[in-house]
Amino acid sequence: MVSNVSSINHKIIKQALTIRRVEETFLHLFSLGKLNGTVHTCVGQEFSAVAFAGQLEKKDFIFSNHRCHGHYIAFTDDVKGLLAELLGKASGTCGGIGSSQHLCRSNFFSNGIQGGIVPVAAGFALANKMKKNAAVGIVFIGDGTLGEGVLYETMNILSKWEIPLLIVCENNFYAQSTHQSVNLAGSISARPEAFGIKSFEGNTWNVADLMQQAKDAINFVRTESKPAFFKCDTYRLNAHSKGDDDRATKEVDEYKSIDYLIKFANEEPEYYNRFLIKVDENINRMVETILNENDLPIEQYYSADTNEIKNTEWKEISSINKRQVELINQFFKKKFEIDDKLVFIGEDVLSPYGGAFKIAKDLSFINPERVFSTPISEAAIMGISNGLALNGFKPFAEIMFGDFITLALDQIINHASKFHHMFNKQVNCPVVVRTPMGGRRGYGPTHSQTLDKFLIGIDNVTTVAINTLIDPTIILEAVYDEAHPVVLIENKVDYGKKIAQNQSKYFSYKQSDDRYPVVHIKPATSAPTLTIVCYGGMADIVANALEEIFFKCDLKPEIIIPTIISDTSVLKLVKQCVEQTNKLLIVEESSSYASYGSELLAALMEQISFPIKVKRIGALPVPIPSVKSLESMILPTVERIISDIKTCFL
Amino acid sequence: MALIQEIKVPLLSVNDTSLTIVDILVSNGMEVKVGDLLMIFETSKTTYDLHSEFEGFIKILSEKDKDYNVNTVVATIYSTLEETAIILNPQALAKTPNKPEDNFKENTINIKSEFSGMTRFSEAALILMDELKADTSLFEGWDMVSKEDVESVILHKTKDNKLTFISKPRANDTKDILPENVYSQPLSNNKKREIEYLSAVQGTGLISTVYINIDTTNIFGFVNRQMKFLKNSLLPVIIYESSRLLQKYKLLNGFFDDNKVYYYNEINAGFAIDIDNGLKVVKIKCSDQIKLQEVEEQIFTLSEKYLENKLSVEDLTGITFTITDLSGEGINFFKPLVNKYNSAILGISSIDNKTKIQILSLTFDHRVTEGKLASSFLKELKQRLESYASTDNNNIRPDINCYRCFKTIEEDLSGLGLVNCITPQGKEGYICSSCWNGH
Repeated sequence: MVSNVSSINHKIIKQALTIRRVEETFLHLFSLGKLNGTVHTCVGQEFSAVAFAGQLEKKDFIFSNHRCHGHYIAFTDDVKGLLAELLGKASGTCGGIGSSQHLCRSNFFSNGIQGGIVPVAAGFALANKMKKNAAVGIVFIGDGTLGEGVLYETMNILSKWEIPLLIVCENNFYAQSTHQSVNLAGSISARPEAFGIKSFEGNTWNVADLMQQAKDAINFVRTESKPAFFKCDTYRLNAHSKGDDDRATKEVDEYKSIDYLIKFANEEPEYYNRFLIKVDENINRMVETILNENDLPIEQYYSADTNEIKNTEWKEISSINKRQVELINQFFKKKFEIDDKLVFIGEDVLSPYGGAFKIAKDLSFINPERVFSTPISEAAIMGISNGLALNGFKPFAEIMFGDFITLALDQIINHASKFHHMFNKQVNCPVVVRTPMGGRRGYGPTHSQTLDKFLIGIDNVTTVAINTLIDPTIILEAVYDEAHPVVLIENKVDYGKKIAQNQSKYFSYKQSDDRYPVVHIKPATSAPTLTIVCYGGMADIVANALEEIFFKCDLKPEIIIPTIISDTSVLKLVKQCVEQTNKLLIVEESSSYASYGSELLAALMEQISFPIKVKRIGALPVPIPSVKSLESMILPTVERIISDIKTCFL
Repeated sequence: MALIQEIKVPLLSVNDTSLTIVDILVSNGMEVKVGDLLMIFETSKTTYDLHSEFEGFIKILSEKDKDYNVNTVVATIYSTLEETAIILNPQALAKTPNKPEDNFKENTINIKSEFSGMTRFSEAALILMDELKADTSLFEGWDMVSKEDVESVILHKTKDNKLTFISKPRANDTKDILPENVYSQPLSNNKKREIEYLSAVQGTGLISTVYINIDTTNIFGFVNRQMKFLKNSLLPVIIYESSRLLQKYKLLNGFFDDNKVYYYNEINAGFAIDIDNGLKVVKIKCSDQIKLQEVEEQIFTLSEKYLENKLSVEDLTGITFTITDLSGEGINFFKPLVNKYNSAILGISSIDNKTKIQILSLTFDHRVTEGKLASSFLKELKQRLESYASTDNNNIRPDINCYRCFKTIEEDLSGLGLVNCITPQGKEGYICSSCWNGH
């Protein structure tokens, strides 16, 4: 039976053929050992790429997944960049850093985490909506992605906030090697419908229809400024990756027989071969050139930056008769007045409620268009914030309780922290996520823990902990100016405290003039005999216990309070201090194992050649009990600090 | 180029929070060498020669005959002559090239900026201060004082790890209307400190004195044979015996403070000397552990040091019980005054020529003990002293002879001995039985 091949624009066929030949070239190069890593080809699915990515406008955007080559070529037409990328060359789309799964060029982004790109795409689309630029976007998922929860968090928000994003679900019936019948319940189309999202359908075997259906869906999203969902049935003729194919040959052959390009080759061999020769010539010429190119030099990828504080200018700390929560709130109020890039996003943040800890008080009254109260969807909050940040906004995401940040961790670790580097520094993701840690309020195991340790070791994420000794405005200003992701850790007990109160006259209170000031409290005139490092919520407790520590322990304490905790920025200062005191105590509200203290100590030991006595004090490693008596035994208290000092240093 | 040393008023004696500079032997800008005598301080008990520990150029920051608190910087030593002048004019320092201030600070030893608030002591420091009876004013200008600080400032410098004391001069607010036709002379520092020191116990008024007669007859025969230098003095024996007795009478070897009675761990009897160099009480360390001959030797050595003005701080501190001997002054009896950080003092009066009776007086702090115990101590001491006479039976005194026939007691074969008598010249003497019977 003759298909309607002649009714299709040959440009489209050439594009699809290019995608196929490029991918087949990848497989060939891989077998020659010239391609590092892996490739996920979309052989058989090319017309989905051509229909959707190929019909977008330049201002539009695409978020794609691990199987992204087709989308990339259809959207950017940058075959050479893709070839060079997979061959690991500096001239590649992402300098060879991202390779097959991590591409980025002119509004095209892909990432290898299933589902994780969906909220990011939603955030990117939300930014366009706020910019009112009529740009739309597509996020490609597979039917396998339907197993990811964050997809549904995002679909709920997309629908509720009317975000102009088209989700294209390339339904190739397999999640890696497992057939849909094993993993997928219910109907695919019923999913978007349940969220009130307009649903479209099509397949890659009826290309002419697909071209029109795709166009209709894109137009719907653009004109209605609403989300849509497109189920595009297709079939991958090759393995998921390369060797991992256990599908029945019969099944694959059946789909081969209806594959549009194969049919075209059979029905229009003259055209096909002419196209093929041209495409192949083109690819081969490029490959030949690329193979002689150089890899990205390491200096262009990695430089050893340090946040080491200057430790030169120290100024007196003056107390501020305002509560920390008021100062943070005031910061946002002022910023909203002068900067429309600021977005405040989190759960329950609309006023009059203004967030669980009232940080967002009145913000939605001041700028209702930039304050987003979300459903209970931490991963989506974080992902949408990432997308907003990639698209020119300065989002401050609020995670209501520090404990909940684990739900958002994939977005921080696999997305925010990696974008800048894996896309070879073409983009920045200046997202900020704020969250209050800490116990002492009886909230129990899942609302009291200090999870800083999981947040300080994320490469290229600056983790900052505020304290009651420093005006949070200074920290927030610095965070606001950051070009890269920041995790800002607050402390729920500190919110109600005023800044740098009750200073003891027996101690001098100084802060460094760094962007993230470090606090150094030391005896007024005496030489200190014990160096303490603490941060965040512990800072207030230890700073207020200095006189008691001195009285009971007979040691003159000095405290160093860093604000950056994702880096040992105070290392030199600490070294300088312990050279004098030979005693270092680190107090943290999290449990001590694998914590900031561990890192600081390890870094210190790499630097010093004299003996010192050290002690770490932290929460005991069990969930924080709700009952007051036990909670105060689990968390570090002044009593425990004093008793440990006596045991360890006297 | 640097400040090499700041010379501070040393803490020499636990009693002295201030010292008087009695002499300055160097002048401004003078080059000094290690060991050079720089200045002489006067304490309540002795003088102290301050020698340079460094080589350099000196700048004097103090004046002769003035009092300075312990730890006050009285002179500085610099590496260059210019610096002694620069410090006079601080602006010059800033203008002088190649003298970065940082460098200057780095090389400075012991600069402690003054703290204006009340000094805070750690618990451990307070306990030690309390043990030492140290005065908190010693740490004026400190923000915080740890036990280590107390140890380094007080114990280290006095090199006495046992017990050391700092006392604080008490302000005398009451001013009486002075009689007319008087003239005044300021008290010497010595006298001021003596008053303060004695007031500590006597000021309470809760003291009492008990007296006892000692029959010294026949005591000296034995005693003098034991002594090398100190003939006809009971002081060594009294020091020797009372020190041993104090092992039993611990309350007399302690003191009262802050509603507590403190007991010393060792017995260091002190004896007062006042010849030409002022009243000093000098210490015989562990006087209950040494032999009588050693007691005498120590008395002799310490007296020599006293006369040569070479007494050390060690010789003058840590006295746990004081003995004051006025037997050479021809007085019948007197009431001695208890020293600070003592609970009793033993006074030795002169021996009555006729009766051979010597009165011992014991003044004690009634807050620590009472008359019964003091009396008991004196009675036991009397028995011990008088026993020297009875133990003398087998040792015939060679110095006793008949005033008429000059026969010594050794030569007397009568078996009756000599009789104590008054000679026709009205002097004390002895007469043998032969002469007495007219033979």
